[in-house]
Amino acid sequence: MNKDFKQTSRSGSVAWLLQRISAVILFILLLLHFISYHFLSQGRAVSYQYIVAKAGSWWFPLLQFAFLITALYHGLNGVWSVLEDYTAGKFWRLFWYGLLLTVGAALLFVGTLTIIKLYTLPVA
Amino acid sequence: MYKRTRFYDFTYYNFIGSWAWVLHRLSGLALIFYLSLHIWVINSLTHGEATFNHVMTFLNGAPFKLLETGLWGVILFHAFNGVRIVIVDFFKGTLVQKKLFIVLIAVAFVLWALGSYLILQHVQWRAG
Repeated sequence: MNKDFKQTSRSGSVAWLLQRISAVILFILLLLHFISYHFLSQGRAVSYQYIVAKAGSWWFPLLQFAFLITALYHGLNGVWSVLEDYTAGKFWRLFWYGLLLTVGAALLFVGTLTIIKLYTLPVA
Repeated sequence: MYKRTRFYDFTYYNFIGSWAWVLHRLSGLALIFYLSLHIWVINSLTHGEATFNHVMTFLNGAPFKLLETGLWGVILFHAFNGVRIVIVDFFKGTLVQKKLFIVLIAVAFVLWALGSYLILQHVQWRAG
């Protein structure tokens, strides 16, 4: 047996299950995300006033944040499962996993900051 | 031993399920790429009203809105094929996976048309 297979001995079944759970959550959140920016804006593109008006509602920014973390988790876990099919050896697995974690942390930081700033915009 | 004759041999591969698998991967990778861009671009809307309107005028032109309908299509494909995967994995959908694919993609197509109509309504034509 190829010794490289030893690196993949942990089955990854938890990640597999979480990918499906996050998929179901994401399916609902995605539709709400789409509706909140394309349907509730009533036939017009999202304007500065629309964002300012939505800042007062508790669920609107919360929905976008829930979407952000679920999408990031599902997306990066998905990339990891693709990479696992083509990556063997301790070094490369650690390298890619570390890179994905770093990218994820950076995007989570920028995304969270964006939501906070967007929903505390000054009223002109 | 099985010998590959072409760069990619589809002899044992040309089925709905295997194409769905390939397209699910490709659309997933495209979507995480888009998500990264999306987070980056939306961040530039947070620098006051003038910048907000400037960026939005750029993004609400016809070219971007057309691309957005394409994005909506990729999202719906990934989402509805994902529903099929969940049904196959948890609800014994293996025997009907091909029918499931056709039915779910048909539903996705209807939603794509409805959503694209909403998206294209938002095109801001520049005052000439």
